Amino acid sequence: MDKIMLSADALYVGYGKKTVVGNICFEICPGEILTLIGPNGAGKSTILKTLAGYLKKLGGSIVIDRRSIESITEKERSKKLSVVLTERIRPEMMTCRDVVESGRYPYTGHFGILSEADRECVRSAMETVEMLDFAEADFGAVSDGQRQRVMLARAICQEPEILILDEPTSYLDIHHKIVFLEILRRLAREKQIAVIVSMHELDFAEKISDYTLCVKDGRITCAGMPEEIFTAENLMELYEIPVQLYKKYFG
Amino acid sequence: MSRTHIRYLTAFLLLITGTLLVFCGNLFVGSTDIDFSDVMHLLFLGEGDRTAADILWKIRIPRALAAMLLGGALALSGYLLQTFFHNPIAGPFVLGVSSGAKLTVAIAMIFAFGQPGAVGSAYMILAALIGSMLSLGLVLLVSRKVKRMSMLVVCGVMIGYICSAVTDFMVTFADDSDIVNLHDWSLGTFSGTSMENVTVIAAVTGFGLLGTILIAKPIGAYMLGENYAQNMGVNIRLLRTALIVLSGLLSACVTAFAGPVSFVGIAVPHIVRTIFRTSKPLIMIPACFLGGSIFCMVCDMIARTVFAPTELSISTVTAIFGAPVVILILIRRKKGEF
Repeated sequence: MDKIMLSADALYVGYGKKTVVGNICFEICPGEILTLIGPNGAGKSTILKTLAGYLKKLGGSIVIDRRSIESITEKERSKKLSVVLTERIRPEMMTCRDVVESGRYPYTGHFGILSEADRECVRSAMETVEMLDFAEADFGAVSDGQRQRVMLARAICQEPEILILDEPTSYLDIHHKIVFLEILRRLAREKQIAVIVSMHELDFAEKISDYTLCVKDGRITCAGMPEEIFTAENLMELYEIPVQLYKKYFG
Repeated sequence: MSRTHIRYLTAFLLLITGTLLVFCGNLFVGSTDIDFSDVMHLLFLGEGDRTAADILWKIRIPRALAAMLLGGALALSGYLLQTFFHNPIAGPFVLGVSSGAKLTVAIAMIFAFGQPGAVGSAYMILAALIGSMLSLGLVLLVSRKVKRMSMLVVCGVMIGYICSAVTDFMVTFADDSDIVNLHDWSLGTFSGTSMENVTVIAAVTGFGLLGTILIAKPIGAYMLGENYAQNMGVNIRLLRTALIVLSGLLSACVTAFAGPVSFVGIAVPHIVRTIFRTSKPLIMIPACFLGGSIFCMVCDMIARTVFAPTELSISTVTAIFGAPVVILILIRRKKGEF
């Protein structure tokens, strides 16, 4: 049996004292992709923010690599866990390579000067996301899809064991969605990274998930393998779609 | 060597030669004619006319040094504030930090110490630091309520106006003897800087420059936004404090000695970024400093020579060159970003 990379037990997440989602239980092994689906505002982002350490958990436990999340310092975490967030950054006068290089932050010295090994890591990350040809292009000048792949390369450069992505494909056209998810799938397998990702594209989520959590009404309504989750009844209930509409659009 | 490296090297060489040239220019140019050979004799052989020597050592050299160091400090302070607020038009002058410092320095001069000339450098800087921190604190409070960057700048400008109004009010009621000095200073000028002042300026500015270089790495991460920086292991609270304290200290030093100087903090980082075509902090920090030095020395030269013997206030000149840059930045930015 694989080792467990990250697990949550009876986890409660939210802001301040207000619980957004409660009683979350799951575990994820290296190389697996866990997807979070559910309606807008259900709390998918809140769960991801808590797992990534931006929010304090309100109850329960999170164990990363057999250690509880509280015992891991920010520096240690930066080498274990990296993120691709929904917020769009627009740094001025930075090339795609500059953005990817920033991912080496936890590994460089006091002045952040990159070694030859760091540069190689950056190069290989950009190759993985198929953005090497755009390395010197201005980050603000490439397309949304390419930008998102650069952010993925940046996250890879942190050499994470866990990768957390919050709706990474939302703004992308269908071509870029497929390219992005294909890269993500391969990355998880080849580098044995545990990937936790929230998505709205159910058809794609079904294809890439090893395990899926459905988030709704402040709880995990169901969890399981994609073939159990992505059924007509389940999705109609999760997104509150009337039967006739579901038939009309998903038939 | 790659093309970017050649670009960096050429640009730095240009900035350094520029700084040296403009500095020397400032020694030759002025209401009293001292020609090239006279200056060389005075500088390197220590011989020549007594009056010329006095003008050179007691007036022109300290003044040029002050413009050089304080110009660098201003540009750096602007760069730090722009980093902090993720806003290209943030700067000590538009956010009201300079005016806050001006107010407290004016208070310190009038009530506690009587004559401005008698006030010690350290006290002036302390007073200015308190003022800049107070107005920065006010801007920070506002920034928690107002998310739009343009509104933040408007608030800063308003804080600046309030502080200036109070300062003017106090200048009006100060003793006659104080007014002459205070009035010149409150408009901004590098004149009247002594060599002792320059020593203090060099120490404070050097400290600020060094401190900024030491946090160059987290600044780089912070440019991608707080969330990404935090994920990379940056201590956000510590970094934000360092940014505020360093920029406050640098602009306080400027205000204490030269009064409020406008637009250098916004214009210089923008120009430098355009020349170098990068935002890498390790390049930007020294480049901003050198750029600020050149900018202020040129402006000071213009201020004291164009209508000689009447001197313009330094802000008059810096605004003429600096304000258009701000307009340019606003035009270049895409719609909807402010």
